[in-house]
Amino acid sequence: MIDFVGDAERDAVTELLNIAIGQAAASLSQLVEDEVRLSVPFVDFLTPSQAVTRLEEETQGADSVAVRQHFEGHFYGDILLIFPERRSLDLVRHMLGDQVPLEQLTELEQEALLEVGNIILNACLGSLANQLGLPVEGSLPTYVRGRGARILNLGEAKGLPGHEEMVMFLHVDFALLTKDVNGYLAFVMDIVSARHFVEAVQAYVAEQMAG
Amino acid sequence: MAAKTVLLVDDSRVARMMTRRLIEVSRAGWTVVEAASGEEALEQYAGAKPDFVVLDVNMPGMGGMETARRLKALAPDLPVTLLTANIQDPVRLQAEALGVGFLTKPVREDALLDFLSGGAP
Repeated sequence: MIDFVGDAERDAVTELLNIAIGQAAASLSQLVEDEVRLSVPFVDFLTPSQAVTRLEEETQGADSVAVRQHFEGHFYGDILLIFPERRSLDLVRHMLGDQVPLEQLTELEQEALLEVGNIILNACLGSLANQLGLPVEGSLPTYVRGRGARILNLGEAKGLPGHEEMVMFLHVDFALLTKDVNGYLAFVMDIVSARHFVEAVQAYVAEQMAG
Repeated sequence: MAAKTVLLVDDSRVARMMTRRLIEVSRAGWTVVEAASGEEALEQYAGAKPDFVVLDVNMPGMGGMETARRLKALAPDLPVTLLTANIQDPVRLQAEALGVGFLTKPVREDALLDFLSGGAP
C-alpha cells in the first residue's frame, strides 16, 4: 500500500514534471522544427508486471524502440523515451533533414535515436535536478527495441529494495503536431527512490511557499 | 574571414554530423576535424592545431570536462566550449570555472556562430 503520496504531493510531482517535460519538449521541437503537444503527466504506483501491461496497451502490443538512461543521485531510476517502431525512421528523417539519402538514414537510425534520447532525457532530468537543487548523474543512454517487458527491463531491478512491492511510473504522451509522430516519456523508480524523490519535491514546495 | 579549423568532439556520429553541417553552411572554407572521444581529441589537437574546440561532456572514457581541462592547460587562450545535453547548473558552473563556454543541445545556430566569431557562448 502506498501511503506516502497524498493529493498535494502528487500535484507537486506533476507540476515539477510538467516543467521538466516542457523543457524536453522544447528541445524536441527545436530538433524537428515542429510543435510538440504534451498530455498531462500521470503518476502511478504499479507492480512491474502492471507497468509492462500498461506500456503494452499503449503501444498496442507492437514493438517499440526506446532510449533508456539510468540516473543516480538523491533519487535514482531509469528514464525512457519510447516510440512506436514504425515511427522512429520518420523522426530521424525530420531531424537530419531531406539531404541524407534513405540508405544512410536507415544506417544512422539507431545512432540518431540515441542522440535524440540523449538530448530529450537530459533536458528533462536536468530541469528536475535544477528545480530541486539536487544533481543527478546520468549514464550514457542505451538503445532498446522490443515489447514492454524488454523496454522497461524491470527484471533487472530484482533484488533492489522495494522492487517486490511496486514501482513509481511517471508517464507523459507527446505528439508532433504536423508530422504524425508520437511517443512516451517515462520515469521508473523503485519505492525507496520514489520516497526520496517525493521528499525532495515536498522540501522544494515548502521552500517555495516560504518565499 | 580567414579560414579556421574547428575540432569537433562528440561520441555521437549524428551529433557531429549536425554540428558540422551548421559550420559548413555558415563558415564555407573552414576545416572541421572530428574526434569521437576525449583521448582522440587530445591526439587530434597536436596535429590539427584547431582555432576552436567544441566538446561534448558525457562520453565514454575521458569526458568533455577533463578534456577541456587538459586542452586549457596546453593552450590557455584556445577558445573551447562545451556542447552538451546536460543542462544541469553544476555543469554550467564547472564550465565557467574552467573558462570554457557552455552551449546546450540541440545547438542554436546563433549561439554556435557567436562562439566561432570569438564571442562568449
